[in-house]
Amino acid sequence: MNLAIVIVIAAALALGIILRLAVTQTLQVKRNASLDGTIRPIDIEAFRNLINPAEDDYLRRRLPPAQFRTVRRVRLRAMAAYVQAAGRNAAVLVSVGEAAMASGDPRFAAAAHQLVNDALLLRRNATVALMRIYLALAWPYSEFAAVRVVDRYEQLSGAAMLLGRLRNPAAAVRLSSI
Amino acid sequence: MLQPHSFLWHYLWLGPQVLQAALAVLLWRRGLHRQFPVFFAYLVFEAIEAFTLYGMDVLPSVSTGTWWLACLVGLVIEGFVRLAVIGELFFHLLRSRPAIAKVGSRLISGTGAVLVLIATLAAANVPVGDPQFQMVSRAQILQQTLYMIECGLILFLFLFVACFRLTWDKATLGIGLGRGISASVHLATWAVMANGGLAHRYYLLDFVNMATYHLCVLIWFYFLLVPQKSVTTSTVPLPENNLDVWNRELERLLQQ
Repeated sequence: MNLAIVIVIAAALALGIILRLAVTQTLQVKRNASLDGTIRPIDIEAFRNLINPAEDDYLRRRLPPAQFRTVRRVRLRAMAAYVQAAGRNAAVLVSVGEAAMASGDPRFAAAAHQLVNDALLLRRNATVALMRIYLALAWPYSEFAAVRVVDRYEQLSGAAMLLGRLRNPAAAVRLSSI
Repeated sequence: MLQPHSFLWHYLWLGPQVLQAALAVLLWRRGLHRQFPVFFAYLVFEAIEAFTLYGMDVLPSVSTGTWWLACLVGLVIEGFVRLAVIGELFFHLLRSRPAIAKVGSRLISGTGAVLVLIATLAAANVPVGDPQFQMVSRAQILQQTLYMIECGLILFLFLFVACFRLTWDKATLGIGLGRGISASVHLATWAVMANGGLAHRYYLLDFVNMATYHLCVLIWFYFLLVPQKSVTTSTVPLPENNLDVWNRELERLLQQ
């Protein structure tokens, strides 16, 4: 009977999550997707500098191992914050792109499609990069590549700008700060 | 009222199936069977299966053993069709999003494999019932196993959509929601039955199952047949224009 209790609890949890997500989804469709106040500009140059392997090599050579590990962990945490922000921005842009696609306006259908695909790729890459960063936090000497996230973010910015221009030629989407 | 073979019991057994058959006809007329062929096949199969089992139940010439054997065969086929429905939902979600199609397929395959393993372990741990009712016990374990896999896959589907902030279209959401409610409630009730809970009062859980399924059929009616309100998206109020500065910086970055 213990097994039955566990399964009943698991089934109740699953039902709760499914209902909650379905309601959220229905409300999300009704809301107008808006970029205002939800996109967090990212200093892409600072991020690129942060993930530069040459910087890590330099620090590794100059600092004693214990100090290097501390510095590396600080840099990794900063990196994680950047990647999380990029992932969140990508999620917002998926919503905006999907809303644009749903409007059925052929003028920006292609741009919206491109934006959604780029944003989804970025979100996937951001998730993978975050996992690697957390792994590297445990082993600061390990190597990992977050470069793809940066590249994807640049591509995404281009797609978002294109869609923004098409939908509202007077304004643009700002994905990165300078 | 809450007794086997009461009016409510007969209604809850046949009512949803009649509605389901009507839904299948309406889907056919509106051409939606081409959009959701597997779900359409599921509706038809489920209605035929339920009518057949009901007929066998009321016919005195059909023995209990024969009825449960037919039920078991039906369950196996139905289980595969239900899993195919989930596959169809997944296909609908990913077909216009090639960026995550590959990773999505891999994740759902992995989830499915893990769920099969967990469901098998759970089935192996179900206590063996009275040998006299072996067929009943097998059917209950089979139900628990199939619903566990289905419930897990649908939960994965909803979490996947939420994680990537995808948007369901109304029909796909309705099918997913209906199957999700049905799978989770049926999983709980069949787990209780398979593990010997509520002895001699199984029929109460039958009522829960049948009422839940009725609700799900009504959900499908709403989501599949009530027209979707056209989404009118106003122009997104975008932040101030900094395109020139952004482009200059981007070009500098690319030239490094």
